[in-house]
Amino acid sequence: MRIVDLLSKESILLKASPKNKQEAIDKLVELQVKGGKIADKEAYKKGILAREEQGSTAVGEGIAIPHAKSDAVKGPSLAAMTVPDGVDYEALDGEPSNLLFMIAAPMDGDVHLEVLSRLMTILMDEDFRAKLLAAKDKNEFINVIDEMEQEKYPDEKKEQNVSGDGSYKVLAVTACPTGIAHTYMAAEALEKAGKKMGVPIKVETNGSGGAKNILTKDEIAACDGIIVAADKAVEMSRFNGKKVYKTKVSDGIKIPEELINKIVSGDAPIYNHDGEITDGGSGDDETFGRKIYKQLMNGVSNMLPFVVAGGIFIALAFLIDTIAGAPQDSTFGTYTAAAEFFKTIGGYAFNFMVPILAAYIGMSIADRPGFLVGLVGGYLATTGSTFSSVGGDVPSGFLGALFAGFIGGYIMLGIEKLCDNMPKALNGIKPVLIYPLAGLGVIAVIMCAVNPIMGYLNTGLSNFLSNMGDSSKIVLGCILGGMMSIDMGGPFNKAAYTFGITAIAAGSYDIMAAVMIGGMVPPIAIALSTTFFKNRWNEEERKNGPVNYIMGLSFITEGAIPYAAADPLRVIPSCLIGAATAGGLSMAFDCTLMAPHGGVFVFAVVGNWPMYILSLVIGSLVGMLLLALLKKKVNE
Amino acid sequence: MVTKTIKVVNEQGIHMRPAGMLVAEMKKFPNCNVTLKCGEKTAKATAVMQIMASGIKCGSEVEITAEGENEQAALDKAVELFETGFGE
Repeated sequence: MRIVDLLSKESILLKASPKNKQEAIDKLVELQVKGGKIADKEAYKKGILAREEQGSTAVGEGIAIPHAKSDAVKGPSLAAMTVPDGVDYEALDGEPSNLLFMIAAPMDGDVHLEVLSRLMTILMDEDFRAKLLAAKDKNEFINVIDEMEQEKYPDEKKEQNVSGDGSYKVLAVTACPTGIAHTYMAAEALEKAGKKMGVPIKVETNGSGGAKNILTKDEIAACDGIIVAADKAVEMSRFNGKKVYKTKVSDGIKIPEELINKIVSGDAPIYNHDGEITDGGSGDDETFGRKIYKQLMNGVSNMLPFVVAGGIFIALAFLIDTIAGAPQDSTFGTYTAAAEFFKTIGGYAFNFMVPILAAYIGMSIADRPGFLVGLVGGYLATTGSTFSSVGGDVPSGFLGALFAGFIGGYIMLGIEKLCDNMPKALNGIKPVLIYPLAGLGVIAVIMCAVNPIMGYLNTGLSNFLSNMGDSSKIVLGCILGGMMSIDMGGPFNKAAYTFGITAIAAGSYDIMAAVMIGGMVPPIAIALSTTFFKNRWNEEERKNGPVNYIMGLSFITEGAIPYAAADPLRVIPSCLIGAATAGGLSMAFDCTLMAPHGGVFVFAVVGNWPMYILSLVIGSLVGMLLLALLKKKVNE
Repeated sequence: MVTKTIKVVNEQGIHMRPAGMLVAEMKKFPNCNVTLKCGEKTAKATAVMQIMASGIKCGSEVEITAEGENEQAALDKAVELFETGFGE
């Protein structure tokens, strides 16, 4: 417990001139409040005054140490004030006081006495008191105390540094889904707390740029335990057999000392990578909903780069063909060799998007074995494999992949449980053969069973659309627009898009116009929302927002998938209604389109294009406002 | 010279108020030198700061020594204060 650690700069006031004891107390209490450790200012002040009533705390030599032990105090802290001209603090010796330290101590423990004792020990030195009074600024004031403490308590100084052999007592890993801010804030807080507590600590950050300051094998072997403050999956197998305390990344920022204490005191449970956490402990107190969110975000954040890079490539292809003056029909976007290059490669990157989403969800549930089931399950969702048509039929899109990621991950956990009863001799081949093989088999069967449902849905929808032909055009437009955005690549989207292309072949161009506008609205609505309602999104989502303008304008609905996947129940309905509005309006204005893709790049061939743009704007605004309405504010 | 070792009974240890009380009482024996010894630390019973600096906690043992005029009375008074927990 060092004085300099209890005394923050905010709580120091130099060269003050309070008129009397009352005013000095007021000022010191104010300084304590600034230090941030006082929960209830009035209650604390009452404690101070009650103590003064029992007798002045001016102990002579110009020193006064008002103090209170109170429930109103969150943690031990000090405030300091120098009064060059002195103030009458009703000292026993009648002399004025010019060095005032106010102590705030929580009810439990002997902190109070320790601080008092330590303050007195250093304050007995006359030269030291003179230096404090002469301090020109707060930094100097603190430095004077620091030097004095190092001199009087030389042992502590050594403890501050890494222990003799260069090893760390406590290790930590921080990670958040976005990997931009919280990861590093938590790391900094932990390092600071470690320094303050004299506990050598090393913190690995698993940020968006990959892991930094990586913990080595030797460090892990030598440490007392590891703090894992993460909202996404981190590599855990290396911690097998060590004491590990798992918690949210925000705890790393808010209560770093507490976390370090968990390790130092040996309270953390021993982590057993093969299964449950042993040795009791409360490492697993996350709610189910939080776990799901964490797993989902693990998938989404890994998927995002594919969407962004692939999407921009495809948009570039359209741009190149526009400049080259390519005909705006179905060859648009692949007409020139350069465009074909970008559109094809961008498309390949896009193909990974949905499997990667599922893969990382699976991995965050079941670690490495879950990666395989998620990846293959997600891929099967995009191919749409069924038992009758294994090569692929109707893709279930990203909704199918979400399903594959979660179900695959939990099935993998189940398989691992089942394998617990197998002979120990098989332990070695479990992760290399048994888990992957069983996992692949199970996920293949499940996805082949699920995809046909999507097939029926798709057929049913196609038939439904064909029969709609006679009824209201506007209703049809609304339905098509909505279908484009409901699953962004799944059976609904596919059915609507195919319907649009069939209609082009049959010579009615208004349908494709409604289809395309429905697919353009979701990314634009989301982009607008990240621009005008920033507080609804996390940092990563905000940063990627502008890319969605390009995606939306290029009719790349997939740009909206990461947002939809992160919060499907709010994002999908908003996009759906916005897209349906735009689709209906497009039909109402008799807009037409002959090209099956291209977005804003083919607007030149859109019939009644001014109204088409108006429809797009209205639909996007509707989507944006609904997002603002439905989504909760993010606390970041 | 008289000496007695006592155990600190008041829960909060010898914080400022008890220290002040002790000092006030010991000053009534101006020609008697009273010292407190707790662990490695020694403090004059008439110097609040020295007593405080010793950081005497509840349960710790304190050796009180008095030497000079009225030394027995001074020691008795000090012991009485410690044993009654300084009225706490």
